[in-house]
Amino acid sequence: MPITLEKVSHTYQAGSPFQATALHEIDLTIEDGELLALIGHTGSGKSTLAQHLNGLLQPTSGRVLLDGQDINRKDHNKRALRFQVGLVFQYPEYQLFEETVAKDIGFGPRNMGLSQQEVDDRVREAMDMLGLPYDEIAEKSPFELSGGQMRRVALAGVLAMRPRVLVLDEPTAGLDPRARDFLLNDVSRLHAGGTTVVMISHSMDDVARLATRVAVLAKGSLNMVGTPREVFSQVERLGAMGLDVPQASKLRWMLAKEGLALPECYLLDDLADALAAALKGGAPDAP
Amino acid sequence: MLRDITLGQYYPVDSPVHRLDPRVKILLTMAFIVCVFLVGSPLGYVPIVAYLALASHLARLPYKMMLKALRPLRILLVFTFVLNLFFGTGQTELIRVGFIRITQEGLLNAVHFSLRLIFLVTGSSILTLTTAPVTLTDGLERLASPLKIIRFPAHEMAMMMTIALRFIPTLAEEADKIMKAQSARGADFTTGSLRQRARALIPLLVPLFVSAFRRAGDLAMAMESRCYRGGEGRTRLNVLRIRRGDWLAMGSMVLLFAVVLLMKRYV
Repeated sequence: MPITLEKVSHTYQAGSPFQATALHEIDLTIEDGELLALIGHTGSGKSTLAQHLNGLLQPTSGRVLLDGQDINRKDHNKRALRFQVGLVFQYPEYQLFEETVAKDIGFGPRNMGLSQQEVDDRVREAMDMLGLPYDEIAEKSPFELSGGQMRRVALAGVLAMRPRVLVLDEPTAGLDPRARDFLLNDVSRLHAGGTTVVMISHSMDDVARLATRVAVLAKGSLNMVGTPREVFSQVERLGAMGLDVPQASKLRWMLAKEGLALPECYLLDDLADALAAALKGGAPDAP
Repeated sequence: MLRDITLGQYYPVDSPVHRLDPRVKILLTMAFIVCVFLVGSPLGYVPIVAYLALASHLARLPYKMMLKALRPLRILLVFTFVLNLFFGTGQTELIRVGFIRITQEGLLNAVHFSLRLIFLVTGSSILTLTTAPVTLTDGLERLASPLKIIRFPAHEMAMMMTIALRFIPTLAEEADKIMKAQSARGADFTTGSLRQRARALIPLLVPLFVSAFRRAGDLAMAMESRCYRGGEGRTRLNVLRIRRGDWLAMGSMVLLFAVVLLMKRYV
């Protein structure tokens, strides 16, 4: 179920003095089963792009296709689309509202019109998937939980709809390192389970760890698309856009400037191996 | 969805009128309103029109903006005109079709009262178009401060207004975000019976209130950590001062009064 964006442009408040172009002629296809990371500077249009994927925003021009169907045509079922493409906003814990955790997670499935039994099953399943102890917290108020747990409850609320595509807008923003690790493992597991994931992130190390493909947005235009290896080798080009690269890529680049050339790598483990091999082999320029 | 909320109607350009002291502008607007009520006949509005034209020209306001202020009033205007036209009590008949009777006095009254409404609204819109909401509350606070003697909390009122104004766009943005997030979970805010739609608002209102209270707490903390203790002995960064322009503006208003009163007597 690939999602294809065809020359998608979006202008906020078109025709008013406050008009602002957020996206400019984006062409991008999100393939089944991939984990696409969207990176870019603040205000580069990442969140706007994410909201086009489930029809919350409509392109000012261009088309968004799901399985070849234009999702913004009148006869396309918007609600059904939202159950298929689950979108988790930034700081989703601020959207919790029900009296109990179970009820809040069940909000999406209830909107799908499922039976109470089916809703309960899905709530349990979503909580299991994210390692939330059902017996302990299902009947608690979501406002009693810790920040990290609230975030996972909010994520479970989207997962309970069993979306085939999951769009995450900065899922780890504001989490402590432990909660962040947990969450990234969850995402990785979901992806391994066959869910297509689109993840917006500011943390290049998170992206390096998880992504199968990276898209770089700059000022509303698609600047680069490629494998993490391809994208993160462009240290200077990303730097010019005010973007960082994973630590390993940066170190490799600095070493290359000093005359120690290593094969392309963007993960710390790979870099360590490459460095060890280079040093053992007695590279001529090694210090 | 809620992104298009604009607050007030401040038209942000720099002009001599924008730079006037807000206190003077508020008082001048009040004086202008009195002036409009003093006018006795349609012809008497000529100096009023001249004054408005001069003020809006100096303020660099496009005429469209001033006309926009009249839009919410259009039904009232039509009513005023029609009622005065058909139910005038004068003697000089102009037209008579069956029981419908239009008199010269009725026609004059219709024009007179409609013009009065139009000038009241456009005149006061110059105040709101040229004064930022926060400056306006500042001016109101200073004007109301003599009332402190009778324990009217002028400073607190102004501070509350300023904070409320400051947070309207923030909350609108927040509401927009929450609405989208719940729509992403299949919430439906636009269809269904009234009861269903009221229920559909719960997923929006609960998080909105929670965040409003959190923000209020944060703000109180931030204000206290900067030693805010109310208006007592508080000095200000921008002290309002009456300048030459303000005197000129006040002079022009005195002139308008004089002309209007003279015309009332001799024309």
